[in-house]
Amino acid sequence: MILDSVQKTATAVAGAAALLLVLAGCTGGGAATSNSTPIDGGTLVYASGDAEPTCLDPHVGGNYPQALLSSQYIEELTALDDGKPVPALAKSWTTSDDGKTLTFTLRDDVTFTDGTPFDAAAVVANIEHVQDPATASSTGYLALQSITKATATDDHTVTLTLSRPDSALLESFSQPWVGMESPKALQRSQEVNCESPVGTGPFAVTAWKHGDRVTLTKNADHWGTTAPRLDGITWRFLPDSTSRYAALQSGQVDVIDNAQPDQLKAASSKGSIRDLDAPRPGASNRLELNSGHGVFRDEAVRKAFIAGAEIDPGIRSLFLGTAKRSYSVLSSVEPYGYSDKSLFGYSPTKAKRLLDDAGWKVGSDGIREKDGQQLTVTFPVSTNQSVPAERSLFQQIQASEKAVGIKVVLKELDLSSWYAALAANQYDVVSAPYTKVGADVLRILYDSASITPAPSGYFANLAQLDDPKLDDLLQRAAQTSDTSERGDLYEQAQKTILASGTVLPLYDQQNHFLYRSAVHGIQTTAVSTPCFGTAWIDR
Amino acid sequence: MRRGRRHARAGWSAWVLWGLRRLAGGVGVLWAVATIVFVAIRLIPGDPALAILGGPGSQASAEAVAQVRQEYGLDRPVLVQYVVFLGRLATGHLGDSYAFRTPVATLLGQQLPVTLTLAVLGLVVAWVLAIVAAWWSTQRGRFAAGLTSALSVTASVTPHFWLGSVLIVVFASALGWVPAVSDGTARGWVLPVVTVAVPVAGYLAETVRDGVVDAQRSAFALAARSRGETRAGLFGRHLLRHAALPGIALSAWAFGSLVSGAVVVESVFALPGIGRALVTAVTQRDMPLVAGIALVSAAAYVVVLAVADLVERLVDPRAEATRPGVRTRRRAPRVTGPEAGAR
Repeated sequence: MILDSVQKTATAVAGAAALLLVLAGCTGGGAATSNSTPIDGGTLVYASGDAEPTCLDPHVGGNYPQALLSSQYIEELTALDDGKPVPALAKSWTTSDDGKTLTFTLRDDVTFTDGTPFDAAAVVANIEHVQDPATASSTGYLALQSITKATATDDHTVTLTLSRPDSALLESFSQPWVGMESPKALQRSQEVNCESPVGTGPFAVTAWKHGDRVTLTKNADHWGTTAPRLDGITWRFLPDSTSRYAALQSGQVDVIDNAQPDQLKAASSKGSIRDLDAPRPGASNRLELNSGHGVFRDEAVRKAFIAGAEIDPGIRSLFLGTAKRSYSVLSSVEPYGYSDKSLFGYSPTKAKRLLDDAGWKVGSDGIREKDGQQLTVTFPVSTNQSVPAERSLFQQIQASEKAVGIKVVLKELDLSSWYAALAANQYDVVSAPYTKVGADVLRILYDSASITPAPSGYFANLAQLDDPKLDDLLQRAAQTSDTSERGDLYEQAQKTILASGTVLPLYDQQNHFLYRSAVHGIQTTAVSTPCFGTAWIDR
Repeated sequence: MRRGRRHARAGWSAWVLWGLRRLAGGVGVLWAVATIVFVAIRLIPGDPALAILGGPGSQASAEAVAQVRQEYGLDRPVLVQYVVFLGRLATGHLGDSYAFRTPVATLLGQQLPVTLTLAVLGLVVAWVLAIVAAWWSTQRGRFAAGLTSALSVTASVTPHFWLGSVLIVVFASALGWVPAVSDGTARGWVLPVVTVAVPVAGYLAETVRDGVVDAQRSAFALAARSRGETRAGLFGRHLLRHAALPGIALSAWAFGSLVSGAVVVESVFALPGIGRALVTAVTQRDMPLVAGIALVSAAAYVVVLAVADLVERLVDPRAEATRPGVRTRRRAPRVTGPEAGAR
């Protein structure tokens, strides 16, 4: 207890839930339970509709398609249980009183699939790899920004020196973008490591045929108490949604992602095709109104837009009951999420009144005008990030805004052009999904510091919210390790954001998987990707 | 024609000249394609560096963007990039793909055989379908003729994505005869090959049928019949040969259509060919890969056109009178056929 005055022990206890995760062999979250007897053997065929990753090492770049794949072969220091960090490759950890030193104690029974032992030196090498500009990490780089130095104190202890207290760091370490790779493999050139990264997970990458498939083979020496049951996974890229679903129906593939609403509707809990609904963590899918530019600088106009947007019937008809309306900036899986339905009721009367009061008069074509300027808002849509149902929803919102006198110009763009439009501040409304574990995503999306564009031109605060009070709340939340204080600060911050009229939440980031009923024991990770470490097939 | 006769006397040198002209034309086409690709990619707004690093849910750090710009030479003036690009192409260096971080030549080596197999099998199946249709339509009376004509026209305008989806739903999902998406087996090739073949077969059937109908009316057909030639024999030995000439010219065009059709068909059936790679390359602004695919497709087209030209000249005996190197008719006349001598 005397020692504890120097270092206070944080979440170091392996509770029942954490034990389950260790047994599971996925550093993950929830598990799809099943009561049949597991069968060994067989190859699972997974068909992904996501873009084929450009590199299989999730440190490089860092997007969701990489996370989907690497969840099978890379594991993390921590995992999440109900949104709270629990042990994974790290057995326990302690945080210093000033919050600026984090010490991990690592498992000592883990080996990478190339035979390299997992130890403190490996963790240091991974943190340095993510932070090295030559790696070109983006997601992982942002997650580990507070770490100034990583030191191997002994074989299985790592001490991290932080530039500031960072309560989100433990959550961040559960993401595949900062997962642990063999230091020996990392020493190869990036081209080679991108082709065949080496982790500690239940499977290992054995081949990657570009434009076609990745072959994964089981890691029989996996440290989990149960060895992986599948012999391997064939990971195919099937961009066409109709043929992907047909391949699942005919039994040619076992699991698909990016399932469309009509296909989800047809799935049932008793049929041969089942639905795995795994909303992504981090932010919800929401429209951001650019408060730093054009007509939306006026709060009344923003609030009129929100009141004039008819959303619920569109979600019902387009998503066929597979998506639930959100009233929160955060995903429903985030424990600190806060919702307020009362701010987002559809009221054309209120919208018209707000616009009348703000001096926008209805013009000859029904669109409002003020000082010779039309009430027009530009809405660039990334066709890479919006499914057809979502794009139709945007068109319905466009129609309902027209009825109150706001002209919405929808511009469908490919990813690069979309980034360019945002960087050039050529948007009034935008939907930009953001996946990151934990409520700290709020700091990335709404802190005023995120308005300053990087030299690339990109900035994450697309609402361009510039509120010192909010910045202070978010910074304090990131620095406190007291859970109830943290929750309180995040609630205040979310109330501020929602009240600013810069955000219109739609639904969770939809993340549905369909699988054949012959597949059992699929689990999901901290970032809601499926992991097949304990899955088996009953053909 | 006077000039043509001189070349005829010159013998093999006329063929060399023809070859050189074809070659020069081909290089010109490739240069034009390379330039158009380069300009087109630059004209689209958007930073390729961000596309290289980007993707849903990830934001590139300043250091990472700067690193990529430098690594791929994106920080240099556009004109310099163009000259470097042409220079490398001229020396046979297609560069490394941004998206796959692999040499473009390696990727094309893996993907081109898939697309060529699709195109060649598609062409073969299209010819079989076209000949069957031509036989049916010319030998089985008016109703058959009308029906085949309607079917051919419909087939020729059927979009690949629609046909592919319908074939998958019927033959894979409902009947379960063939796999929905390619799986490396011969059965996996059935649906994609049929999908690319049908529209081409529509065009071919119309052309071949017209040729057969014309030939049927000609004197040599009557003469052959009067010699005791059977219907099938007449069709196979005389009429078809006559009608095939415009078909061969059309096949060269069809090959281009098959390769462009591969863009859709390979995505629908998950075939790992250059068509699919092109879609990825364009969305990711993967300049080296787009250029590589465009150049290889253009080169293939140039070669196929030259081969078709050659075959046409070899098959058609009248080519004896008009040596290559001379601009002559592009199309076989309709009424007088290669067997005009039978008159």
